[in-house]
Amino acid sequence: MAAEQPRGGLRALVAKRWRGWLRAIHRDVGYLAVGLTLIYAVSGLAINHINDWDPNFKSYERERVIAPISADVPDDAAIAAARTALGVGTPRSTYRAGDEIHLEYDYKKFVIYGDTGTVIEQGRQPRFLLRVANWLHYNRGKRAWTYIADGYAVLLLYLAISGLFMIKGRNGLRWRGAILLTLGISVPIGYVSWSGGPQAANRAAQKKAEQAEREAGAAASDAEPAGEVAPSGAGGDATEEEGGDEFARPPVRRAPPVDAMMPTVDAMTPPSP
Amino acid sequence: MADRPLFDRYPEAARSWDRRRVLQTAAAGTAVAVFGGALWRLASDDLTRKARAEKRGDGRPRLPPGQRVLTKFRNMGGDEGPGDVKSFSLKVHGAVKTPFTVDYAQLLKLPQVEQAADVHCVTGWSCLGSLFKGVRLSTLAEKAGVKGTVRHVIFEAAHGYTANVPMADAMVPGAMVTYRMNKKPFAIDNGAPVRALVPDLYFWKSAKWVTGVRFVVDDEPGYWEVRGYHNHADPWREERYG
Repeated sequence: MAAEQPRGGLRALVAKRWRGWLRAIHRDVGYLAVGLTLIYAVSGLAINHINDWDPNFKSYERERVIAPISADVPDDAAIAAARTALGVGTPRSTYRAGDEIHLEYDYKKFVIYGDTGTVIEQGRQPRFLLRVANWLHYNRGKRAWTYIADGYAVLLLYLAISGLFMIKGRNGLRWRGAILLTLGISVPIGYVSWSGGPQAANRAAQKKAEQAEREAGAAASDAEPAGEVAPSGAGGDATEEEGGDEFARPPVRRAPPVDAMMPTVDAMTPPSP
Repeated sequence: MADRPLFDRYPEAARSWDRRRVLQTAAAGTAVAVFGGALWRLASDDLTRKARAEKRGDGRPRLPPGQRVLTKFRNMGGDEGPGDVKSFSLKVHGAVKTPFTVDYAQLLKLPQVEQAADVHCVTGWSCLGSLFKGVRLSTLAEKAGVKGTVRHVIFEAAHGYTANVPMADAMVPGAMVTYRMNKKPFAIDNGAPVRALVPDLYFWKSAKWVTGVRFVVDDEPGYWEVRGYHNHADPWREERYG
């Protein structure tokens, strides 16, 4: 007598076990992703506040005074005198120019102003772990890390989606699940709506520029005959100094629209000081 | 909490974990942090308020709109150059009659100026009245013999960074290549050994780790300008984004 086959076969098995598989895979993917998650989360916090601190280095600057070193002293003797006065070892490199003597070491340098004897020591040390984590986060190394980061992003997608379904609970995605899910989704949507989105700053700037142009146009039409309105920005000090329009500022040329050249996260931090 | 066996055995531990006490401690900690933060903010804003009340010689307010005063530069990152004076060289070229290159010692032998300037970062901070020493861009232009058709200056810096500045802005007396600020050398993260300075434009135009000054006829938007930032960058017109 043949054994009775379960109805549905594989489909029934999947229907019965899929949450269990989801949980098991979620757990394993979680193990796999935990290292990278720590790196990205910690460096994300660090980089997010780059305006308030240097997430990569601890820097310092010290000033002291030694006996002045005359410009007449030969370079080698001047450098030796500076080293003796400072009590420092052999530098990685040395340089003398004008009144300056430079002693360069790994992670620090001394600049001695010979005429006054003023010494400026500037140094910095990489922050433990953070320097490397930030380097990875920014993907400065490129190459294989791009693929690793892509793979990690896929794992995160799995963790996010499987997390929705792996424990059914009493109400599934209703009630608390639905409320929290809606809250999570509405945070980015709400922020974009509230802030005006990526084009908001451009729109505001454009509005201001148009307003300024209108005001300038009105002022010019009051002061000058029509058709002789000065180009925007022309007439600065340099123009007057040069005695003509040799260095007159041309009309502002705008960069490509933001949408066409959207900066990456990396690119959003201008390297001005 | 108190029904847990461990806390039954150690009632002092149970008291320390009492929910009300935890909440009270957290609230007190938050209040102290907020109060401290507010005090710090108020103290900082005092500088900003004073600067807003001041006027420049040209009639504009000393502090451009949307800026806050800081007492020192913030490190805004970027791909650093070598930073040492030994390997430094500055190439002055482009539409000029006599292109030339100077090393650090030769740069120091050119006519020097030392003057105070305010700088304004596009991210919203400003640093006022720092003393910069260096060589004016107009001096470099004169030495190179800039052709009459030149309309823009392109700063070239480490790792291919560029920033474009209209000639009118580059030839003002405050625009220079500078190697000393407030009688001290620049730190590596501030552009050592030599950086550009164009004080009346947002500070990303003042390229750090500068390696070249190129005079051009046609404009060439630089690193940030092709990434959505404004081509001109006048802080008083808040030209932050293109």
